[in-house]
Amino acid sequence: MSDATLTKGRLRAAVDREQNLLEVDNLSVTFARKGSRPVHAVDGVSFEVRPGQVVGIVGESGSGKSVTSLAVMGLLPSRGVTTTGQIRYRGTDLLGAGAKTLNDLRGREIAMVFQDPMSSLNPVVPVGVQVTEVLLRHSDVSRAEAKAEAEELLRRCGIPDPRRRLKEYPHQMSGGMRQRALIAIALACKPALLICDEPTTALDVTIQAQVLELLKELVADLDTAMIMITHDLGVVAGLCDFVNVMYSGRVVESASRQELFAHPRHRYTEGLLASIPRLDSPRGEPLRPIRGTPRDVISWSQACAFAPRCDHADDACATPDLALLVDGPGDHRMRCVHPAPLPGAEPDPPADVTGGAKR
Amino acid sequence: MSGDGNLLEVTGLQVHFPIKQGIVFDRTVGHVRAVDGVDLSVARGQTYGLVGESGCGKSTLGRALLRLEEPTAGSVIFDGVDVRALKPEPLRQLRRRMQMVFQDPLSSLNPRQSVESLLVEPLSVHGLSAQDAEEYGRDSAKAHLAKAAAMLEVVGLPRSALSRYPHEFSGGQRQRIGIARAMVLNPDLVIADEPVSALDVSVQAQVINLLEDLQELLGLTYLVIAHDLAVVRHISDTVGVMYLGRLVEEAPSDDLYERPLHPYTIALMSAIPIPDPEVEDHRERILLRGDLPSPANPPSGCRFHTRCPYRQPTRCDTEVPELRVIPTLGEGRRVACHWAEEIAAGTVGVADPDLVVEPVR
Repeated sequence: MSDATLTKGRLRAAVDREQNLLEVDNLSVTFARKGSRPVHAVDGVSFEVRPGQVVGIVGESGSGKSVTSLAVMGLLPSRGVTTTGQIRYRGTDLLGAGAKTLNDLRGREIAMVFQDPMSSLNPVVPVGVQVTEVLLRHSDVSRAEAKAEAEELLRRCGIPDPRRRLKEYPHQMSGGMRQRALIAIALACKPALLICDEPTTALDVTIQAQVLELLKELVADLDTAMIMITHDLGVVAGLCDFVNVMYSGRVVESASRQELFAHPRHRYTEGLLASIPRLDSPRGEPLRPIRGTPRDVISWSQACAFAPRCDHADDACATPDLALLVDGPGDHRMRCVHPAPLPGAEPDPPADVTGGAKR
Repeated sequence: MSGDGNLLEVTGLQVHFPIKQGIVFDRTVGHVRAVDGVDLSVARGQTYGLVGESGCGKSTLGRALLRLEEPTAGSVIFDGVDVRALKPEPLRQLRRRMQMVFQDPLSSLNPRQSVESLLVEPLSVHGLSAQDAEEYGRDSAKAHLAKAAAMLEVVGLPRSALSRYPHEFSGGQRQRIGIARAMVLNPDLVIADEPVSALDVSVQAQVINLLEDLQELLGLTYLVIAHDLAVVRHISDTVGVMYLGRLVEEAPSDDLYERPLHPYTIALMSAIPIPDPEVEDHRERILLRGDLPSPANPPSGCRFHTRCPYRQPTRCDTEVPELRVIPTLGEGRRVACHWAEEIAAGTVGVADPDLVVEPVR
């Protein structure tokens, strides 16, 4: 698909269901400052998003998940940052695209919801103006039409009394309300791809449930694909079709959500699942934390970055640049020398012996 | 008093903050009722978990118990001593027995103090506890340093950390220092305000386990304040759920999960995502409408009635529900809802079907 079809016309072009919407191929982002060692924030990440699919990127702070999303949006600063690889949105390489192409794409084709609704809304501009701005920029509507549409958008996003709210400033709204306004802005032009970077982390659980439910509904209604970036495995479990787990700048495991939670193979994913207290787990069961901190890493070019924290690490883990191998059904991939065993591969419990004894 | 097994008894505790207006006269135009009549008791050696959303008054309550925030009414009895009646000097002496672990270790540790200085400071203020004096000798710089180093080892940091500064540590390690600082005096009661919420997921479990180990080792009583019900349920014996300055439900932690009685607890429970797609797809969830009302002007009657999915036409908006014991619904449980029995029996349901999210498949 050429640039022209992407950037012209009032609404986004119809989505080809057979084609991948977004293909991130071997993306690397390196921050380099004079006098200090370069930091590989993202180190060869590849994933794809199909139309209408919800893809999760899970990781702790410093795993490179937010930098990945900023790279896709073209929002990384140009100084001191080296971005390599390819990000293809419906065939167009976004990394090579000029500012004009990106400006036409952002907001209309690809939109983003940021973590902190207070700092991502402009505090001195009424919310209504911030919503209509997107509509006026990307579609040929009059101011009055845009205003009516903005009101409808806010209502759709569950903001009561939207006409009054349009005139209000961000500080007059609660956190949940602001996040809804941000979602309204992101969805104003019915984008084909929505990137959510920790959209509910700053919110209370009951508000988080409301916002997630809203996102789920809107994404299904508009047939929008979504990239959900979060550290919360619970959010991923209820929402995503496909999950990528990141550690130290690389995807260490990726699988469909059912497969990932049922058979985590990478030791990091396994450790993460064992270390979070679950609301429905029996009490008194001690948590099994991962030792160390996310900062205890080695470079991937020397060994598995998780090896210093892994209980199963041995000399074999010192393989440089471990490959992300296909392993198991549903495109399950992982990057581990000593993966967790599948349930079938475990030695059978001595059930037959007791059965025999009874007889 | 100490014989009945409760280390801490709180009755009718209120913390109201005045809202001032005007330049010359500085009139008080109203009050933020941050904590508005809370009764609770914490048994010796147990963990009481206090859970609620931001703005419900849980942190203010924790601070008021130590008189870091002056309560406006009610009583706090700590091991038979009325904390509110204490003069400054006896209060200072009592503080060695009740300590606090704060949420954000970066802002609660002085960046210009070394770890040694941070850990020795409480000891030079209060002196070694009687028990430690036997082990380390009389109060002296040397004894204090020995105790500080020993404490550091207990929380899992090397002795070499003593000469370093807070910024040199990771979040989890800083929280360990914060915990060591609270425990170095051998307190009886430790109030932990959001001890893990600033930490990375994989590190949270380390700190939770550390808190549990220390409780066993030092025979501590905890009051853990957190917004994450899963964390609170994991470490607490008893859980109290707060909403807008009041306790709405209190129950042994397993019972609370098995069978939440108050509509707010039910909604809170169903809002917490569980990292298991099977469970997520098959459970019914109840959403709350709207946001937390302002604690300066709380709703009449039951404070939850503006958002309650089970709201009934009578009583809810006029009558304040008492936190009452319902013997038929299990032992040791208190709930502040007029319709708790009916909701538990299923005769009162969610009125608005939009608020119920049916299982996906």
